[in-house]
Formats: sequence, structure tokens, C-alpha cells
Amino acid sequence: MNGDETSVTTADLPAPDDADGNQLLPQLVAHLREHRTRLRHEWSQRIQQAGLLHAMTPQEMAAETTSVYDNYVEVLETGSVEALQRYARDLSERIIPRGVETHEVVGIVLLLRDVLARSLFEKYQRDFALLNRVLDAYEPAANRIANTVAVSFVDERERVIRQQQDSIRELSTPVLPVRERLLILPIIGVLDSERARQLTEQLLTGIRTHRAKVVVIDITGVPDVDEAVANHLVQTVDASRLMGASVIITGLSPDIAQTLVTIGVDLSKMDTIGDLQGGLEEAERLLGYAVGRADGSGVP
Amino acid sequence: MTSGPKLVSILRQGSYLIASIHTALDDTQMDRFREDLIEQIGRHRSRGVVIDVAALDVLDSFGTRTLRTIGEVARLRGALTVVVGIQPDVALAMVALGMSTGAIATALDLEEGLEYLNGRLAGGAVSRPAGRVPPP
Amino acid sequence: MTGCGAEVSGTQRAYRPPVEAAETADPPVAADVHAALAAIVPIVRRIVAARVPDRSTADDLVQETLVRVLAAADRIEPGMLEPYAIVTARNVVASLWREQDRHRRNEHRMVDLLAPESPDADLLAREEQSAVAQALARLSDRERATLLAHEVSGQDTRSLAAELGSTAGAVAAQLNRARARLRVEYLLASERVEPPTDRCRPVLLALSGGDRRRQREVDAARHLLECDLCARLSQPLLQRAATREDRIRIAIGSDGDIVAARQAARELASRLGFGRTDLTLIATAVSEVARNIVRFAGSGEVVVELLDHPRRGVQVVARDTGPGISDVEQALTDGYSTYSGLGLGLPGARRLMDEFAVASEVGQGTTATMTKWCGER
Repeated sequence: MNGDETSVTTADLPAPDDADGNQLLPQLVAHLREHRTRLRHEWSQRIQQAGLLHAMTPQEMAAETTSVYDNYVEVLETGSVEALQRYARDLSERIIPRGVETHEVVGIVLLLRDVLARSLFEKYQRDFALLNRVLDAYEPAANRIANTVAVSFVDERERVIRQQQDSIRELSTPVLPVRERLLILPIIGVLDSERARQLTEQLLTGIRTHRAKVVVIDITGVPDVDEAVANHLVQTVDASRLMGASVIITGLSPDIAQTLVTIGVDLSKMDTIGDLQGGLEEAERLLGYAVGRADGSGVP
Repeated sequence: MTSGPKLVSILRQGSYLIASIHTALDDTQMDRFREDLIEQIGRHRSRGVVIDVAALDVLDSFGTRTLRTIGEVARLRGALTVVVGIQPDVALAMVALGMSTGAIATALDLEEGLEYLNGRLAGGAVSRPAGRVPPP
Repeated sequence: MTGCGAEVSGTQRAYRPPVEAAETADPPVAADVHAALAAIVPIVRRIVAARVPDRSTADDLVQETLVRVLAAADRIEPGMLEPYAIVTARNVVASLWREQDRHRRNEHRMVDLLAPESPDADLLAREEQSAVAQALARLSDRERATLLAHEVSGQDTRSLAAELGSTAGAVAAQLNRARARLRVEYLLASERVEPPTDRCRPVLLALSGGDRRRQREVDAARHLLECDLCARLSQPLLQRAATREDRIRIAIGSDGDIVAARQAARELASRLGFGRTDLTLIATAVSEVARNIVRFAGSGEVVVELLDHPRRGVQVVARDTGPGISDVEQALTDGYSTYSGLGLGLPGARRLMDEFAVASEVGQGTTATMTKWCGER
């Protein structure tokens, strides 16, 4: 519907005349190989003039432009974009963290296309018919290359962004498996609705992954436990129970607990215990590891 | 609805019934599932019932109410019911909807559900939710 | 008002049962069916007019309602004539909607398949027909039978589901797949080409069905770069997906439609990139409002639409022509319910969505509008 699909539709390559293409492309490739140094240099200058890739050092730029140039010629020669694809992804992985943008990557590939096209123009300009056929063979291949590089870059960028988002999310609400069947979820910082939802989702997925039966949520690090936070906790407790896990809340001070009850939060469904240590002991008792008070509920 | 893929299955395993819902059911199908299950509980004098809802992508008020009804009627007929396989997003939606699951016991999956029934039926009739029962 | 309306009004004057008789729900005496009939004309007209803006259509529907009530008059208990007429009027309007809806839905499908008018229209039309026939022939027997039963014979998903031993939702999904395949086969047949690689069909199918997950699985983007044929054929498929598939309407008439509505809503919303939990919240909310329609009004519709403004989001409108809610505030209060549910329908749905509004008028129907924004929780 937006963004990523537009790159898909632009592959309107006119089919080159096969016989012609077969003869002309090898000629082309030979020409581009022969003048590699000069053309690559020209291309680098154009990149600098256009102010692209300024995040890279001249050495890096020289190394990358050489690789791109060679890959480019190879695609023209073999017609296979696979090696270029791999290289483009690899390149993207290296330059995305440096802040290189999509338009820069597309820009340099288009510049190379034009530098090479101009050199073909100079070489064949005396024979207009031949020139036309050369450009007919060259352009679709060049466009295909530009597309491949752009798509690889965008794919890679999306992957990196997703990965970063995931790790940020995980860092902010870690679900810790302390022992078999037991998870601890220490919450630190302000608990707004957005974060509460994320946290609950993560906890529920964690319950399934670790087959947890007991969860200890420690809220010692949450500065303001108000009605909204308490209601989030109640929902988390309920949802966890639906997945077969009991929740123990620790770190809720008696004062705050009393305030919450006064304003009408139903804490009766929540198992609250003063500190994390007590919570873990209760959790182990529930799991049947430690011998607690005999209550006849099936401890072996 | 006799041909085609089965929407639900009810299997007997010893004194337990294992009922699985395989796909989204409409209200009429849900009602029929409830009737069939309750009928079989009576016929087999089952002591425990596991209802596997892992295939459901939505449990709305009607679905939850039906599960509750099954649980209550089963209890009157001397059988314990445990619902297993509620997906994380479904659990969140049920809670957000405001569904009180009240007396239904829940467990992570079939294995846990059977364990729960074994624990409860062996250890007496102390009423506790599934998540609180230690492994036997 | 002209035609039948005026005539019946004349009858009303002649037989003299005052309009108030209908207003105060005083049971008409069975002795004179015509008098009773005349008495219910105003309420029937009000019900129809509230739903159908076009006057002459409304007049036709009023007439049809009266004919049906008259035909059934001797089976109706005294005093039940007015409620019977109200229900009949609603049904008549609802079947008009269904008809219009079926028409509209089939219309765009045919538009996809039709060539523009041109001087050689005749020749083109014959080629079209043969391409459509070839495409149909390439579907599996089951796909073809289901598709034709639905598109040509107008059989609804629920009765198809009953025949196939499946669910209405599953049948709807199957129909969508069959349509997607038909579009692909049609394009191939009309171009008279066979795809050069065995990756082509899966890619085109994924594009035709608008299934983005599947598109990623088969790496459609890359294939289009590499395959000129698919690059060309994909254009109409992608355009179709872009222009049309941001809105879907599901007619609600029975509880099978509840499932179909929530599945359609989930599928549509998934294109905006909602997470799994949000999709489940949306689907659950749709389930609740759709059930409200079935329980209280009998029939209505659910329209799901993707929004771009002011932000990206999904909007669900659930509309019925039922008895309406006299106290909306109360209906949105937990525990309020007039059927034996948990009373969570509207208040529950409200908690699942970001925005929620209900408009209702007694005797006219209820419209619930709710929205979930992308990225807001």
C-alpha cells in the first residue's frame, strides 16, 4: 500500500533484442574493463561533487567504489544479479550504521550508470545506429542493477531497524527465567499504558516460551504506583492466569497498597508480597520446590 | 454438518474427555459443541474435561460465556474442567474486554491441563486455579 | 408521495381509524384488516424513509411491505399486526441492501475483468470470454464450483459453508483465493503466455491476493526484478490492490456472519502493520458489535475501512435497522443487556478500541463507529 511496494513495480525493462544483446554486451564489458581506472575515478569525483557518501573516508570510498564497479560490470557480463545482491546487502550492513541514506545509495548507482553511458556515447558516437543498439542493450541491464541495489539496501535497512526496535524493547522490560517454570519481571521506570501493554505482551509470550507456572513481578523500581498502574497490573495478572501462570507482585509498599484499596482498586485478585526475596520464596513454595506449610494442595 | 473437515473433536481418555476446537466457530456451532460435550460428560461419567482452544484467534464474550457454562454444568455433573491453549494475544483481548473467567481453571497446554486434573483429582477437592497447583 | 402511498392514505381516511391508533399501539380490531393496515401505514413509511433516501424506491418498499403484511394478515394474531409490519418493513429494506451489496460487489469484480470500450469491442469481447473460460478451466473443480455458486448463483457463504461442512469464514477465505487465482489465470490466458519459471505463478498469486506475508515468503520483489513477464503482468494486479482493497463491507444476517466480519476486519487491518495483539483486539471488538446486530436487529452491516487521515488506522462501522437503543449511556454501562449474554457487547468493544461512538434512534436503528489508530495503545 505504501513505500516498499513501489520498488517492486519499477522493473519495466524492455526486452533487449537477443541476438544484438549477445554480441554487444561482451564488447561493452571489454570497453568498461579496459577503462576501469579512468571511469572509476570519474565516478568517484561525481559522487564527491554531488555531496554523496560524505560519511565515508576517502579510503573507504575508493575501496567500495572499486567493488561496486567490478560487481556492476560482472552483472553486465553474466546477467546474474545474485553476486551483486549479496554484495549490496553486505555493503548496506556496513554503511547503514554510519547513517548512509537510501537516496545516497540510489544516487551513486545512478551516477555510475550515467558515467558509463557517457563513455559509451563517446566511443560509439560516430555510428549512430550502433550507438542506439548499444544503449538499448545497456540501459535495461543498468536499470535492473539500480533496482537490485536499491531493493537490497531498503530490505537491509528495514531489517536493521526492526532489530534495533526489538532490542530496545527487550532491554526496557527483561523477562528473566530464574529457574524452571519461574520468571521474574523487574519493572524499572515509569509505567505508562504503552509500556504496560508491551510488558504484558512480552510476559505472556515469555510464559509460553518458558512454560512458566509462576511469575514474580517486582515493582520496587516503579516511582508512581497509581490507579492506572494498578489496573494494568490487575490485567497482567488476569491475562497470565488465562495462560495458566500465577503472578506474585513484589515491591508494593503497604502505604501504597492501602491507598489503592481506598480509591477502589481491587487488589484481592493479586498476590502481593513485600519484597522480592519473599516473593521468590512464595514462588518456590507454589512450585513445590521448598517445603512450606502443608496446605494439602498436592505437594508430593 | 457431517462431511468436510471436523470443526471440533471430543476424545475419551480414561475418565477424562479431551475436547479440541479446530477452527473458529460461529455461535450456533459453539452451542452445539457445548451440548455435545455436556452430553458426553454425562454419558461417560467423566471426572475431568480438557478444552483445547489453541486454534481460536478470538474468544469474545459469547465464546467465554460458553466455556464458563460448560465448566459450571460439568461441575454439577461431578467433572472438573480446564481450558488450555489460550494464546497470549487472545488472553490480552479477553482481559481488555473485561471478561471475568471466574471459575474456569486454565492451563498452558494439554499436557499441563492433564497434569492439573491429575493433581486435583488425586489430591482432594481444594479449589485453586490451575497456575497455583504444584506438580504432583 | 404519490402512487400507492396516496392511494393507501385515501383508504385510511375512508375507513377512519385515526393515526393515533398506531401511535399509541392500540391493537386494531381484527374485524377490519384494511383499517388496521391503514393504521400502520405511517409507521411503515417512517421506518422505510429513515433508511432509504430515494423517495420512489421508498414508496415501492412501503407498498411491498403492505402487500406482505396483507398476505399474512389471517395468520397474525390480533394486536400483533403492527409489530409484524415493523419487522417486515425492516426485512424488506434489508433485502434491498443485500441485493445492492451483491450487485456492487460483483460489479467491481467484473470491472476488473472487462476491457475498455473500443472500436473492435466485439472481437475483444470474444477474446475476453475465451480468456475467462480458459482461466476458469484452470481452477480446481472445488474452487470453480464454489466460486460459481457464490458469484453466479448468488449463494451466500453461510449456506455454502453448510454444504461443504466448513465455516463461513473459511469459505470466504477460499473464495478470495479462488478469485486471486482466477485473476492470474485470466491474465496469462489473455496474454496467451505460459510463465517461464515455476516461481512465476506463486509470485503472481501472492500479488493477486494482496497477501504481503506470502509476497515476502516467495520473495516477490526480487522475482519481479528478474522476470520481465511477471513485472508486466503484476502491474494490473498491484494497481487493483492499491485502489480498492482499503474498505470491505460484510452483510450481517446470521451468526456465521459474525465470524466472517471479524476475520475480514483482521485481514484488512493486518495490512497497516498492526501487531498481533492489536489485530486480536480489533477482531474481538468487531465480533461484539456484529453479534449485537444479530441479537438485537436481526440484520445490518459491518464496514471496515483503512484510514490515512488524520493518522493511519482502521475504522469499523456497525450499522443496523433494529429497534434502536433508548438510553445509549445505559447501554454502554457494564452489565446492561437485554439478551442473556454478559452484557459486554458495546462497553466491551469500547474498551478494546481507541475511539468509540454510538448513535441510535428508537425505531430507526443503531450505528456504532469505532477506530483503532496505528501505533497508539
